[in-house]
This record gives sequence, structure tokens and C-alpha cells, in this order.
Amino acid sequence: MAEKIGVYFDQSALGILDGEELAAHVTSKFGASCPVAKAFPVLAADSARAEIRADIEENELDGVLLCGATPRVDWDLYDFEGVIVDRVNLREHCVMSFRDADGSVPAAGDDAPELLTLMAKDYVNMGVFKLQKTGVPTPPEFETVKTIMVIGGGWAGLTAAKQAADYGFDVILVEKEAELGGKALGMLKTAPLEYPYTEAHATGIEKKIEDVTGNAKIKVITGARLEKLEGLPGQYKATIKGEQYPVGAVVLAAGWVPQNPKVLGPMGYGSVPNVVTAAEFEKLAKTGALTAKRVAFILNTSMVDGGDIYAPVCDEEAPAEAEKAAEGEETEKAKYVHKDLESVRHLPISNAVSSVVALKQANYVCDTFEDGQAFILYDSMVVQGIHERYYKAAQNRLGIMMSKAEIKGVAADGDEIIVSAGNTLMGGDIELAVDMVVLPTGIVPATAKDPIMNFVYRQGPNFPDLDLFEGYADSNYICFPYETRRTGVYAAGCVRQPMMLDAAEEDAIGATLKAIQCVESANRGVAVHPRSGDLSYPVFNFVRCTQCKRCTEECPFGALDDDEKGTPLPNYSRCRRCGTCMGACPERVISFDNYNIDQIGTMIREVYVPDNMEADGPRVIILACENDAYPALDMAAVRGKKWSPYVRIIPVRCLGSVNAIWVADAMSKGIDGVMMLGCKYGDDYQCHFVKGSEICNRRKDNIAETLNRLGVEPDRVEQYEVAIDEYDKVPDMIEEFMQMIFEKGPNPFKGY
Amino acid sequence: MAQSVRIQPDLQFVKELQAVGGESLKKCYQCATCSVACPISPASNPYPRKEMVWASWGLKDKLINNPDIWLCHNCGTCSDLCPRGAKPGDLLSALRNMAYQRINVFPTIGKWMSSPKYLINLIAIPAILWAVIWFISANYYAGSAFPVGPDGEIVYGNLFFGDYFIDPIFMLTFFGMVACFFKGTRNLIKSFKPEGTTLVLGKQKPLLLCLKDVLFEEIMTHKKFKDCGDDRSDRKAGHMLVFYAFLALMVVTGVVAVGHWGGYLFHSIAIHTPLNLTNPIKILANVGAIMLIVGMAVLTNRRRSQEDAKTKSNYYDWYLLNVIWAVALTGVLSELSRLAGIPQIAYTVYYMHLVAVWMLFAYLPWSKLGHVVYRTVALTYVRHMGRR
Repeated sequence: MAEKIGVYFDQSALGILDGEELAAHVTSKFGASCPVAKAFPVLAADSARAEIRADIEENELDGVLLCGATPRVDWDLYDFEGVIVDRVNLREHCVMSFRDADGSVPAAGDDAPELLTLMAKDYVNMGVFKLQKTGVPTPPEFETVKTIMVIGGGWAGLTAAKQAADYGFDVILVEKEAELGGKALGMLKTAPLEYPYTEAHATGIEKKIEDVTGNAKIKVITGARLEKLEGLPGQYKATIKGEQYPVGAVVLAAGWVPQNPKVLGPMGYGSVPNVVTAAEFEKLAKTGALTAKRVAFILNTSMVDGGDIYAPVCDEEAPAEAEKAAEGEETEKAKYVHKDLESVRHLPISNAVSSVVALKQANYVCDTFEDGQAFILYDSMVVQGIHERYYKAAQNRLGIMMSKAEIKGVAADGDEIIVSAGNTLMGGDIELAVDMVVLPTGIVPATAKDPIMNFVYRQGPNFPDLDLFEGYADSNYICFPYETRRTGVYAAGCVRQPMMLDAAEEDAIGATLKAIQCVESANRGVAVHPRSGDLSYPVFNFVRCTQCKRCTEECPFGALDDDEKGTPLPNYSRCRRCGTCMGACPERVISFDNYNIDQIGTMIREVYVPDNMEADGPRVIILACENDAYPALDMAAVRGKKWSPYVRIIPVRCLGSVNAIWVADAMSKGIDGVMMLGCKYGDDYQCHFVKGSEICNRRKDNIAETLNRLGVEPDRVEQYEVAIDEYDKVPDMIEEFMQMIFEKGPNPFKGY
Repeated sequence: MAQSVRIQPDLQFVKELQAVGGESLKKCYQCATCSVACPISPASNPYPRKEMVWASWGLKDKLINNPDIWLCHNCGTCSDLCPRGAKPGDLLSALRNMAYQRINVFPTIGKWMSSPKYLINLIAIPAILWAVIWFISANYYAGSAFPVGPDGEIVYGNLFFGDYFIDPIFMLTFFGMVACFFKGTRNLIKSFKPEGTTLVLGKQKPLLLCLKDVLFEEIMTHKKFKDCGDDRSDRKAGHMLVFYAFLALMVVTGVVAVGHWGGYLFHSIAIHTPLNLTNPIKILANVGAIMLIVGMAVLTNRRRSQEDAKTKSNYYDWYLLNVIWAVALTGVLSELSRLAGIPQIAYTVYYMHLVAVWMLFAYLPWSKLGHVVYRTVALTYVRHMGRR
């Protein structure tokens, strides 16, 4: 907790605001707790920083508050040893975005309008109070095991194991089959992995296996599964074949299984001879048993999947399962039942891989027979990245013919198969007589079939919400591709997303680096990601805990286990420091040293709220997600957007960390509305912490009930979804909300 | 089209197409930039996108029965803009080259015309023919291989007698060529006619009127060349110069032939060669020759400066250019060397001129110049069918 704070103003960022006047305001308001308050012409100047250092020395300051530009810039400049530094965003959120009550924008050189000065003072006051409620976190001591466990000995797993060993880590590689190699073992060739990327070649899996089996740092356990994974990153205990191994972090490269070809029935699979899947065709090629000279590779599977990957899968068994779930709730802690997530959707989702595989296998046909003819009938040829060169090369090959086509039927006709198709590039409907038809193989991730990890976590043995991703072990596909919903476990290869060998290799290396980062971060007691290096951690005041289990249930990362009674058991290195638990707790048991209920609550309470809304305007608090909404507001200001002078913006770690008490505080204080700006949620969520904005939205219903009871209109509290690039929309959202507040009139609690 | 078409790719055909100028055809990925970019392609079923996919799939029947290949005037816009370097323009000219082989009689000549390795055969026929005549005439009539008149003047007719050698041979050649074209044209139109009948909506213009329209609206004005893009105006100018030069030289030949043969009947219209340089017919001939050379220079220069990566000239292109150059240069040189009075050179050059002219005319239906007739036929046909 900072007790002696130096407050500094950056006149170069303040525009028409007078830094000296604000400094005088600080001195008169805070007196001895802010012994130094001054304005510099340019805060970033070396001389200014030298002066601050001298002030710290002279006045024994333990906190420094810098008022000027957004904290998102120049953060590397202001590092003062031994004091807590915080920033007040007077430039973007105050001066630049200021618009007077009548809509006018003051010109350069004008005197600062009263509302602007009021706003600046509010922000400065909030900054000082925040610092006064900010402590220095001291993370717990933590010993970590420098062992990386790799699940799966296929292409990705072997790469990851080798990579981790090369970086000096011990590796345990677990493979469920009796031998290493995985799916790559069964491939005749791979789509090109090297320049000029025009010809398929042998995979080179044998070399990868040798590299791993010959490496002293890698312990290979074949014919085994991970039976249990307990503990926390850095200190996991993995049970394999009944034996326990200490493990630091895990690379999950469990791969995939071919989709059950029964779904391909409508396209002749199982009824028409010589209709095979790509996986079966690869086997034929590998064993040299290719006899078909004319082969149709059908990539357009809309006959089976309807062609729309966004259409909901109709789940015939759904009602039965809902019943089961209802029963489960009654018996409280029901045993985990794995739901098989394999569906017809794995077919279109795998299209990018299927497309390149079709190119490769079409080449097999022409390699085997000089007069071979391979037809590729697609809806969309999805060829990613450098594979474009392979596509070009295949296209240029005499015997390979491609066309967009709607498949109308696949039927046997004597020894031949007739493929009928419409809407082709040739114009009109066509029929094609071939000797063999190859249908794509859907890539079903191992995690869809089985809880591979077998976590001993309160939230269950598998990753949560896998149904959002058809079973693929991916959590935040936009920002952090390797992260799963369990800190310490990083997914690579086809268990994460359908991909070719080249991408799997890159994936394996990325996931390995993440795993190493995790072990190293855990060792230093800091967060891994996305708040990399964050020293803070949730502190529990168990005296007041009522064992309501909200925190343990809501934690998006399963960081909290609990004991018999339901008291939460924190696992620090599983935690990502989002504060969702803090937002959940009705008893305000959970806090961070530098981010807590009291801190934000005080900031809200210290906003000046005039009694007469008609004369002096309303006041609205914006709780803005610091990851996306806050930068969006910054960008809006930089691009010349203006917004109401009555809002006060407070950054929060995540909307998930917003505790209902803050809203109650604001309302009882007389604040007229609370806007919560957070990330998009739902299937295409953008939340850094996956669930934050979604949980906030759910809690809002409870808040609404409370407000109703108090006699306050619940729509005074509203949540908005903002993407980081929607700076152009944010001002309109604020405007819309302000209009609503003006219509509603003042908060009935005002003046009490 | 409710009826399904059974597709039977003919990969041998694709190979042949690649050999006569369409080597990049498989690079097409069907974006249709070419069809959009083409300034003269019709709005419905535009070429050359569909030809590209037919070629890549080896759909021989569709391609060889397709009049659209003749609508293309080969400006190269499609090939310039093709993102894949598939050169649709080259494919269409390859298809035309293939048509010269396919629709004409005596397919052997078509084969000889398709590759430089047979060039010697093509040259050998007229070379031997004219050498034999030269030999006979020198030994039995002229008395010398390089005969000169009493004043030292050189008269080619004294060695290569018009009445006995040149005119009969060329008339035979000419009418033979016309017969070949007649047969070829019938084959061409037959190939356009789809199986069954095509329903044409509205009133159909008579075929002859269509031909008249094509001649006057398109060919005389070179309208399609203009439509192909103003940035290629050198191409239009060059082609037009060559076209009208040939027209002029044809008029000259016609007038001289009529004057010569008609002179036997009506002395009043008799024309005797060589003509005086101030004779209007001679002036027309010389102007035609100059136009031919200038036009050829423009066209050759354009072709030479073409980027191979965009549009590649094939053997058919170069054969025709070189034969016309040979005709023009030997023609001009024989006139000059005749005026200069050097018999050895003059007669040799004139002999070469005869060889070149015979090659130009005798092989016309199989050469790229066959488009004079076949493109006209196709343009007339599609106009008749209402495809614009």
C-alpha cells in the first residue's frame, strides 16, 4: 500500500489542461499523503525522470503516479526501483476525447472548460486512491520439475520431444501404440515439406523416431496411456502404467483417429465396390496395391454434410442424454461420462487437409500409371500457405483434372463406377466413368473420443467446452493457439486442428516452447499467459468463506480444487490471474495485492457525483476490459472520436473479475449508470480468459434482480461487446447509453 | 442442360495441343479473369475460360466443334492478365493451328506445317518445280540460264515464260487452293453444327447478308482489332497495312492477268510487262510492296518484343511471317536487281521469289494465313446464329 505518493503531470500530454493547477489540486486534497505534486513540460525527458528519482530519494516516496498518456505507451520508460508506479490516462480518455456538454470541442489555446477539469480531477483522485490500495505481491516459493511430458509419439509428438530435449529438458514420451511413428508411419509420401514444394516425398519419420529413441534425455513409454495427471504446472504427478512420474508441463500431441466412414454411406461407401476413403487409399498406395487407372477424388461432401459447416448437427440422441444429465444432477457428484464428440462435421472441417491429400493421392495415380487419370471434384479447394506451389504443380500435371462439382450420385456400372455431378466448370451436368472413388477422411481429434489427459481436477478429467470445437483441444484460437483450457498443457498437431505434417511440426515446436515457458514461469511464481510475468495471485481470506463453490465452478481454467467441505484449494501455477474468482465471490474473500474489491470500489466511490443531474449532468462509470475495450477506447480517442464528458473509465482485468458489489457501490453512491465494455462471447468468443465476458453477462441477471429490489431500473447497468478493432463503434455505444440515461433521469439514490 | 454428358478425357489430344502452342494450358485455375478481360468476348458463354477447362480435361469434341476459337483476334489481353501464366490466348491460337491440320484435305501437308523439322519438305516441292522449269527453259528456249535482251535489259518472262509456265502453274495452284478451301470450309461448318438442331429465336439473316456484314463491318474496318484495345494500335496498323497491301497486289495481279490474257482477244486492253514505273498499275504495285514491308516490319517487331512469359509466338506464327518476308523481300529485290541489270542475281532472286510465292499460295489453307477464309467463315456463321 503506497502511503507517500509522488504525483507527476506530463504537460506535453495534457493539451489545454493546466498541469500546475492539477498539481495544486492534488496537494490541497491529499496533503501529506502526496508530498510531491508537480508538472513537467515533457515527462518522458531524462531530466524529468532524474528529478523523480531524486524526489523518491528525498521524500521517501513509495508510490509514483504519472498523469499523462495512456499506460499502453512508454511503459518501459517508467521503471523506478522499490516504488509502485501507476499511470493516469489523462491524454486519451480525458483531453483528446473531451466534448463539452453542448457538444462543442474546445480549440487549442482555450481555457480548459469546467467539465474537463472536473473529469481530470476525478481521474487523478481515482489514481491516487488506487495507488493507496495497491500492494506489492510476493509470490509463494515454488520448486518446479524440469520435465516435459509429451502425449503421443507421432509426427508432432516426436518433434516436441526432440525439441524439449534439445533445450535441455528431460522428456517423457507416452505413446499408446506399441511403436512410435503414429499416422506418418502409414503414409507413402507427404505433401512437400521443403523447397521447391512441388513434389511429394517420403515423410522421413524413421529419422525422427531414431532421433528420439537414441536420445538419453528422452524416456519413451510405449503401449501406455496417461492414467492420471494430478497437481499443478511445475509440480504435476503423472501416472503411467501404474507408476508415478513428476512432470513440469505437458505437450498434448495425441493426434487423431479417422472418422467412421459410415457417414459416407450416401456417397456409395459400403455399397459400391471400390469406393474407399483417403485413409484406405493411402494404405493401398503404401502397399503397392494400386490398380485403378481412373480415380475420382471427391472433396465435395455436401451430399453427406449438407455443405454448411455452421449448420447445427441434428443430434438424435439429445433428449436421452438430457435425461441422463438431469439424473446426474440429482446424484450430485456423478461420475464423469465422456461424450463422444465425433460428428459428420469433422468431414468439412478437415477440408483443408483433405484437399492437399487429394492432390497428393492424385499424383500417386499418375506416378503409378503413365496414362493414369485422376479427377478431383471439389466444392472449394482449400490449399493453405506454401502448399499453393504443390497445388500449382499438380494442376499442371497432364493426368490430373480438377473441377468444382456438386455430386449427384456415385453408382456401380459393371466394373466401372459412374460419378454424376452438376454445376461443373465444364458447363452442364457430367458423368464420369472411373475405376475407383476416393472420399475424404474426416480428422477426429483424440480428445473427442477420450479424455486423454485424465486430469484429477475438480472440474473433471477432460478439457471443458470441447463441444465448442468439435472436440479439438483448442481454447483461444485467435490469440494463443497452443493454449488449452488447462494451464500447463499445450496442444500440438491434429489434436488441436486438422493439419499437415509441416504445420504439425511447427505446432510441436511452438507448444514445446510454451511448455518450457510454463515451467520457467511457475518456477518464478509468475503467470504464464496471457498476463505473462504477472507477480500477483489470488489471495483467499478463508475466514469469511461460506463454501458456496462459485469460484471453483466458475474458474475458466480449473485452477481451484476444493476439499470435502467445499473450501477452495488454490493451485497458483494453474491460475491465469484473470480475477474471475474475485468477481464470483459474494463474500469478497478473494483479492489480489494489486487488484481487489476494495481498490476498485474506492475508486468508484471517489468519483464526484453532483446532486443535481439537470444542472451538472449525470455520472456514468465504464468498466472496460483492459485487453480489448480499453485499447479500443484509446484508439478511438487517437482517431479524433469524442464522447460524453460525464463518463469515467476504469480498466478491469477482465469483465469476469467484476464483482456485483462494485455496481451496488456505484448505485448507492448516486452514479446514474454503469457500462461494462467487454469482449465478444459465445462460440466465436474473443475473451482472453475465455469465459470472462460470458460469465459477466450471466451475473448481470443477478445484479438486475438486486437492482429491481432496490427500486433502481436494472437497465442502468448494461454490458456491451467490443472487439479490439471496433474503435469506430465504441463512441456510439457510449452515446447510446448516455441517451438512455438522460431519458431515465437521475438515479433515485442520488443525494442520499 | 438436363442431359448428362459422359466425360472421356483424351490426354493424347492435350499433349498435341501443348505441342502446337498451348503448353501452359494446364496452369489455369478457372478464375475467369480472361473471360472478363476479353474486350470482344460475348456476354453469354464467353471464351476463353471454358476452352481452358475443356482443354485441361482433354474434352476434344467440345473444343474442335467450337466456333469461338475463331472469334478471338489474339490481342493477348487475357494472357497478360492471367494470374497463373496459363496463356489462354496461346491456347486459342493453338486450337486454330490444330484446326488447320484437322479440317483441311491432305493432312500430310498439315503435319508438315506443324513443325520446323518438315520445313525442308515444304520448300523442296516448289524449289524442285521451279528449278526444273529454269533448267528446261535455259536449255531449250532462252539459250542461257541468265538471258539478257539486246540492250542488256532483263525480262523475267524471257526465262520463266508467263504463258507457258508461270500462269498455268499459278492458276492451277490457285484453283487447287480454292478447292481445298471449299472442302475445308464445308468441314468447318459441319463441325460447328451441333448434333440435333439449334433453335434460333427471331428472324435469321440470310447467310450471304451475314457474310457481307462481316466483310464490310469487321474485316474492311478491322473493327475487332480496334475493340481489342487501343493500346495495341500498332497491331491493328500493321495488320491493316499487310491486309491492304495484299489487296493491292491482288488487284495488280488481277489487272495484269486480265490485260495479258485479255490482250490476246482485245488488243486494246493488252498489258505488257515489265510495266513502266510511271504506269498507275506499277505505282499501285510499288505502293503495295512498300505497305507490305512497313506492315510486316511493324508486326514482326511487335512479335519480337512480346514477353514469352505472357504470350509466346508459335511456329505457325513465325512460318507465316517468314514466308511473307521472303515473298516481299525477293519481290522487291528482283525488281531492284532487274533495274540494276545484274542478271545472275536478278534471276536467282526471281527464282526464290517464285518459290516463296508458290509456298504462300499452295500451302495457304494449312498455314496460319488460312484464317483469311476460316475466320471469315466462322464470323459469318456465328453472326448467322445470332452469337455476337
